[in-house]
This record gives sequence, C-alpha cells and structure tokens, in this order.
Amino acid sequence: MNQTLDGRDRIVRTQGVGASVKRNEDKRLLNGQGEYLGDLQVPGMAEVAFLRSPVAHARIRGIEIPEAHKGSVFLASDIPFAKPIVAVSAAKGFNASDYPALVSDKVRFVGDLIAICIAPTRAEAEDIAQSCIVDFEDLPAVWDIDVATAAGAPKVHDHWADNVYVETRIETGDIAAVRAKAEVTVKRNLRMGRHAGVSLEGRGVLAHFNRRLDELTVYSSTQFPHVIRTIMATCLGVSEAKLRVIAPDVGGGFGPKNNFHPEELAVAALSMKLNRPLRWIEDRREHLIASPHAREHRYELTAYADSKGKILGLEAVVVVDAGAYSVWPWTAAMEAGMSAGIMTGPYDIPVYHARAISVATNKSPLGPYRGVGRSGACFAIETLVDAVAREVKREPADVRIENMVPLEAMPYRSATHKYYDSGDYPTCAQMARDAVDLPGIRARQAKPSPDGKLIGFGMASYTEQSAHGTAEWVARGLPVVFGYEPALARFTPDGKLILFVGIQNHGQGLETTLAQVAHEELGIPVADVIVRHGDSSVSPYGMGTFASRSMTMAGGAVSIACGQLAEKILRIGAHLLQAPKDAVTLRDGKVFFGQQSVSFAQIGEAAFLHPERLPEGEEPALEANAVYQPGRSTGAFSYATHACVVTVDPGTGHVEILDYVVCHDCGTMVNPMIVEAQVVGGVAQGLGTALYEEIPYDDNGQPLASTFLDYMIPGATEVPDVRVLHMETPSPHTRFGIKGMGEGGAIAPPAVIINAINDALKPLGAEIGETPATPDRILDAILAVKPAGAAA
Amino acid sequence: MKTTVSATINGVAQTFEVEPRTSLADVLREQMRLTATHLGCEHGVCGACTVLIDGQPARSCIALAVTLDGAAITTLEGLADDPLMQTLKASFHDQHGLQCGFCTPGMLMSGWDLLKRKPDIQGQDIRVAMSGNLCRCTGYQGIVRSIEKAAQTAKGQVSQTKGAAA
Ligand code: FES
Ligand code: FES
Repeated sequence: MNQTLDGRDRIVRTQGVGASVKRNEDKRLLNGQGEYLGDLQVPGMAEVAFLRSPVAHARIRGIEIPEAHKGSVFLASDIPFAKPIVAVSAAKGFNASDYPALVSDKVRFVGDLIAICIAPTRAEAEDIAQSCIVDFEDLPAVWDIDVATAAGAPKVHDHWADNVYVETRIETGDIAAVRAKAEVTVKRNLRMGRHAGVSLEGRGVLAHFNRRLDELTVYSSTQFPHVIRTIMATCLGVSEAKLRVIAPDVGGGFGPKNNFHPEELAVAALSMKLNRPLRWIEDRREHLIASPHAREHRYELTAYADSKGKILGLEAVVVVDAGAYSVWPWTAAMEAGMSAGIMTGPYDIPVYHARAISVATNKSPLGPYRGVGRSGACFAIETLVDAVAREVKREPADVRIENMVPLEAMPYRSATHKYYDSGDYPTCAQMARDAVDLPGIRARQAKPSPDGKLIGFGMASYTEQSAHGTAEWVARGLPVVFGYEPALARFTPDGKLILFVGIQNHGQGLETTLAQVAHEELGIPVADVIVRHGDSSVSPYGMGTFASRSMTMAGGAVSIACGQLAEKILRIGAHLLQAPKDAVTLRDGKVFFGQQSVSFAQIGEAAFLHPERLPEGEEPALEANAVYQPGRSTGAFSYATHACVVTVDPGTGHVEILDYVVCHDCGTMVNPMIVEAQVVGGVAQGLGTALYEEIPYDDNGQPLASTFLDYMIPGATEVPDVRVLHMETPSPHTRFGIKGMGEGGAIAPPAVIINAINDALKPLGAEIGETPATPDRILDAILAVKPAGAAA
Repeated sequence: MKTTVSATINGVAQTFEVEPRTSLADVLREQMRLTATHLGCEHGVCGACTVLIDGQPARSCIALAVTLDGAAITTLEGLADDPLMQTLKASFHDQHGLQCGFCTPGMLMSGWDLLKRKPDIQGQDIRVAMSGNLCRCTGYQGIVRSIEKAAQTAKGQVSQTKGAAA
C-alpha cells in the first residue's frame, strides 16, 4: 500500500496510473481494421464533390449548370433552411461574420463553397463540379494583413467598417515608468507563417437518415461529436434529439477537426433534403487550401530590461490574419487573444501591455492547431529573451533562467491574469540546458569548423494552460463553456467494464489510459476495459478532445465513477464471501478475503441477473455516472524547456538539427510511454512550423502550396531522435495531479530553432525573425548584413 | 468506358471493371472493401496507400488499375498470416509505433519490404529508407524503434529456426 496524491491508501498496481501500459487500441489499427470515415459505406450512398471558389474575392453573378447535370448540383437556394455558422466572441466590438454552408452572393477565399455535386463516385462528382461555370465579378483580393489594414482597403465583409474582427488589450502595470527606468530596450518584429494542420486523414462527412429512429445520423471525422450535434441542430433547425453525430476512427485531428465546418453542415443539410446518404471525403488539396489554417502571426515586441537582462516590462502588438470567416466555436479572436494572453510565459514580468488584433482577409479561416496561440507567443517571447541576452552580452540560458518565475513564487499570478498552479520552471530549464552540454558547444563555436558550417545552441521555455474549465472559457467569452467531462462506467453481467465517455480518441491512447484509471480504482485488468467514445447517442454529453484536456477531465470522471463502483463491488463481494467489508480488497478483477475470492463476473452476475444474492438494501445493476470538474477551473499549467543544437550552412542556408532535448513537466503521468510519444510527435509538428510548412498567398489571393510537393511536412529524416526528460509536479487541483500535455511538444520548436539559428548566425551579425526558417530566408538574413557584392 | 481487369488480390483471382483513370486504391477500397489501404494524399507522396504489386512496394493511389491485368497485388490484409508481418506488428505495439493508426498500414507494408531486403538495418538508415512514408502523429521515433526491434526479433527467430534444424 502507498499513499496516493489524494491521501487515500491504494494498492500499487502495474497497470494503473503511472504504468507504461501498451495500448488497447493498437490491435485493430495494426490489422488494418480501424474504421475511418472513408471506410464507411451506406447502401444508396452518393459521393460529394464541392464546387469551390477558384478565386479569392468576387461577387457571384450567376452559376451555369450543364443540362446533363441538373439534379446533381445543389446550390445555397436548395438548402435555404441551413442557417449560416456564426461564431461571435463576447469581446467588445467583435465583428460577426456569417459563414454559410454554401455561398450565394460573394466568395471570400479560394476554396469557399459554392455548390454540392453528387455522383456514384468521387471522380464523377468532381467531373460535374468541373463542368459548372460560375460568372464572377472580380473584386480586389485582400490577401495580406497590410492590404487588409491599409486605408480604403476593399472589405471582406461589406457591412463592416474595416477588416478587423476585434482588437483586445491587456494593460497590467505602469509601462511608462518601466520605459523610463529601463537600461536596455530591445525591439523585434517577428512573423510566423500560415500553414495547415495536416492530419494524415483529411476531414470527411457521411450523413444518412435513419427512418426507424426518425433521426439524421452524421458521421464526421471530428474531435467533438456532441458539440457538433448541438451546433448542427441549431443550424439545421432540428432538435438535438433527432440528430446523432458519430466520430469513427479519426486519423489525426490536431485542431482542424475541432471546428464546426460548413462542409459538415452542407452535407447534412442536403442529405436531409434529398433523403439520401451522402459522403464527402476531403482530398489533400482541399485540406491544404480550405481546412481551417494555422498560425500567421505578426509581432511587434519591446522588452525593457536592466543591464543584466532582467526584463522589467514588455509591450506587444499581436496581429493575426484570421482569414475570411470566424470559425465556430473558437471565433476569429482566439489565436491573437491566446497569444497575447500567455505572452509572458514562464517569466516573472510584472508589467505588460499588449494589443491583440484579428484581421479579416480573403484566405481560409484560421482555426485551432496544436499549441493554439502559444506556439506564436513562445516564439515571440523566446526570440526576444535571446535578443535581450545578446544585447547585454550574456549567456541566453542564464538570462532566461534568471527571468523565470521562481519555485517559491508558486502558485503565481501572471501579468496576463493567469494562475500558474505549480511547477519549478528554473530547474526544468537547467535540466534541458545541462543535457546538451552547453560549455562544449561554446568551445566548439570558438574555433571555425572545417566545413564552414556554423553551430548554434537554442533554448525555449513555455508554460501551457491545460484542462481549463468554466472560469477560463467564460473569460474568453465563447459560445460554449467547456467546463466539465462526464463518464458512465458500466459493468456487463460477465464482469467486463465499459466506459462511455464524451472525449474523442484519435491517437492519444485514451482507450488505454482511461482503462488505466479504471484499473487504479478497481484493480480490473486494463485488457478487460472497453472505452466507448465518439458517438453522441452512446456516451453522455461531453466536450471532446482538444485543449490538452481529455486525460485530466475524462480521467477525473472515470476515476469518480469507478470509485463509486469499487465501493459497491466491495460491498457485494464481502457479502458473497461472507466477510466484513473492510477486510476485503480488489485485485486482478476479483474481490479477495484472504485466499478466498469472487470474480467480477460473479459480482456482475449477482448485480444484474440475481439480485437475490445481493446484500440487504443493495440496488441491483452495476453502473455509475460521474461528472468531473477540476478543483480550480483556471487550468493546470504544464511547462517545458526545449534545447537544441543545429548547424547552419551559410552557403546554402540549410539547417541540420544535431541534438534535441525536451525537459517537461505535465504533473502526474498516467502512461509515460504515451506521454513521451505525444511530446515527440508534437516536436515533429513544431519543427514543421519552424522550418518547412507554409502556405504563402500571392497578390491575387491564390494559395501557393496545395499539394505535398509544394507543402512539406517533416519526414523521418527531418525529425531527430528527441531525448525526453520528465519532471512530475502534480497539480494540486486535478484528480491524481494530472496536467494536460497533448499540445505542448508543438509549442516550443519554432522558438528553439530560431534561437539556435540566430546563435549560429551571431558571428555574422545576422538574425532571422520569421518562420518557417527556409534556406532562402536564412540566406536573405545573411545577405542583409553582408556588404554588397560579398555574397558567395 | 470501362475495361475488365483480372488480377490476383491477396492470393485470390479477381475480375473487376474500371475506368481508365481508376486507381488501384479505389478498386481495393471501394470495390473489394479492403480498407486497410489508406489514402493520405492521393498524389503519390505520403505512402499511406502502399501495397505490393508483384512483390514490389507501390503507391496504389497513383497505380492505374487498367495497367494491372495479370498482376499479383498484396495488401496488409493479405499478409495477416505472414510471420515477419506478425513480428512487425508486435513490435509496433511494443514500441508504440502508432498513434492515430492512419499511416500505419503503409508503414507496415514499407517496413516489411525493408526488412525483407535489409534484415540488419538500424537507426538512421531506417529513417532514410522509410522517408517515403509520412506520419503526422508519432514524430517517427516510435516507428524507427519498432522496425529496429522487429529486425532484432526476426533475426532471433531465424537463428532459432536454424538452431532447431541443426
Ligand atoms: S495516398 Fe498514395 S501516396 Fe499518399
Ligand atoms: S500514427 Fe497518425 S499519421 Fe502516423
């Protein structure tokens, strides 16, 4: 027995919280028996291809459908009952946009939906889409933040005064005083490029009407089926009780599948109208041009510091290109707001003034992507911290660590009004630094390398709000407050356990980790626990998987529900064993009294089929419902420091990663094997942001990367072996002390890579402040400081 | 205009009707309902759709079915009883070589072919050899470890068999 975090005695189990249990979900996936959206077929089903706008900004004068295809092409006027998607933030002055299932008057980005074409195969449906002719009256494209905010700019939404969704401010402390007393002032303008989420499986929807149940069933490759049901019912004008949303196996989410998409609405609406099963499978081009995009931030930052590099105050202007429409439920304000709202990160910066501006352009709407806002904020502040260190001529690692919130200041309230619950940021940073042998790197830098390559060391830290509940979502003013998570734990009469949960598992291993929580409470073998999720008609209403919340939230709910069942099983078991209740224990799916035992199967049989065997007054059946909210709803803060070593070839601008270390703390780890893999997978995505992934737009508003030939995601040779060091500071506010960690790995790489590149470029006096750090951009940075004509 | 094609799919002779543009992947997935073969890009880059055509790994999304008359095609389903594939799957489970599972069938097919050709492959060489298969979830570390472990296990199995024969 040992003491657990919540003070109860518990048996240490090899499958419970903290064990690297192999995953339950692997078997079907390894055997190719996963069932993803594209694997589903319904009799009589037609395939959908969307006619999408090929231009960025234009009025639609008319749409010509060839005679042969009339009846296979459907316009907005065919689904007049489908209401547009409106995502409004409660922030003052927010400009709302109507995001319709199909546009009828004007297109606002390349990829905007104009018509639905249906046919027996996707190829034929695409042929039909190609055969339609749209008469456009071209409008000037608002293709860039500067174009959007210029005086007299054409307007994306005609009824707005300008192209700004909203501007919000944070003003903490006296910035004028800090400005006056600062010995060092460091300014930087930084940019993070626009890219896509790129789940390997694209999005997809299959809708069909179930006549027997009088219910529209919508399969969608989504991260949050219940919430989709809610908004879809509103937009379709039907009751939620007549709608079932199912997320089958989902081939990666990462945020782009965490919105209510017009494609979902369009397919559902037309299927309802035609009373015919319809399936849409997104292809890669559609995903790259028209799924909600990621990032595209610009920063103007000013740090005010003393001569040692201690940052006294910070000013930030965060401008985000939020694209053509506000996505539901996050709104167009989320990315800029979250970035400005976490900007001071792990640092004790008491004075902070920020403006967060979300701009509308003729590009695909911006939505959540792993790290949301924080990848940009981390990139901004960490690049600035290094710039401050260079300015005061000190080791960036030292300046960074000295600026951090010290252990003794925890819990800490930041200048952005965040409540950091626990953690030791300086120790974490030191561990990462020490793991890469910084003195050795500095020594190597002192002598020129034979191949002319420059070596650089980079470090970046962040703190990540995870599993935030009611208070945080209310503060953000969203249409839905994601405050809790439910679980229904139900035994079968043969003694197996099924957990019905409202989260959605798409690679995170939740079919295993939630079973581990059940094991922790019940001693039931993990293999005997089935986790059912992703179906609005099967599970209690829940919020889905995003915001690094599922393990904490659903784990908490499963723990409570299983804890209640454990009590009941002990009572029944003791009764069957004719033992006093406090003399029996749970282990290996049995109740033990000394050497004697009864199995969960016997208990299930008694509970469901033989109530006469139950103790006096015991209710039959064996199931429990629970809803969990963390003790504080302001979030549990995970944190990490990433450190890396790169070489930069000054002749080609090519960057090679020699070493990459992550030291992180996500509180109590339920399954360290899964935690580590989530970190590594996140790092790989972050390296994409840092070095490779970008969707530039030309001045006609045309996206210039629309296939995997011109849009590069990291492959096996681009990602180094990442070394992961773990710290475990349990959150005082969550069950088991768990903190969320799904996104964290993707937050720091852009910052750490830029810092390492800049460290390498330091002897040349060059610096880069933009992601992705492509060879061209690095060469430009070098050429910018070289005397003219000196380029090789 | 449809053409009739006859090919062996997972050891069974099959005849199917295709348009000139129909990809092998669509035949497998939509007509044969062999859905282990996944589509991640449909333009020949990601490797999720990897199958064996006459024993060679190939991208079924850009292989035109009309060209495959008489070919022998093997998908992940067709290697269910293959000992090396079973070893590889066990290693992916053991070394956490998959997350969402979408790239996994392609990884298994390419990994299987790799181990057939280079049973001793290790570390960075695996990364290079597998660079034609994209994964968005794992960061590849688990996949590389899985293939490494499978190589070791498979070698052990071969020497055991040899030992037993001796
Ligand atoms: S689907 Fe064939 S290579 Fe991507
Ligand atoms: S496991 Fe999800 S793409 Fe590889």
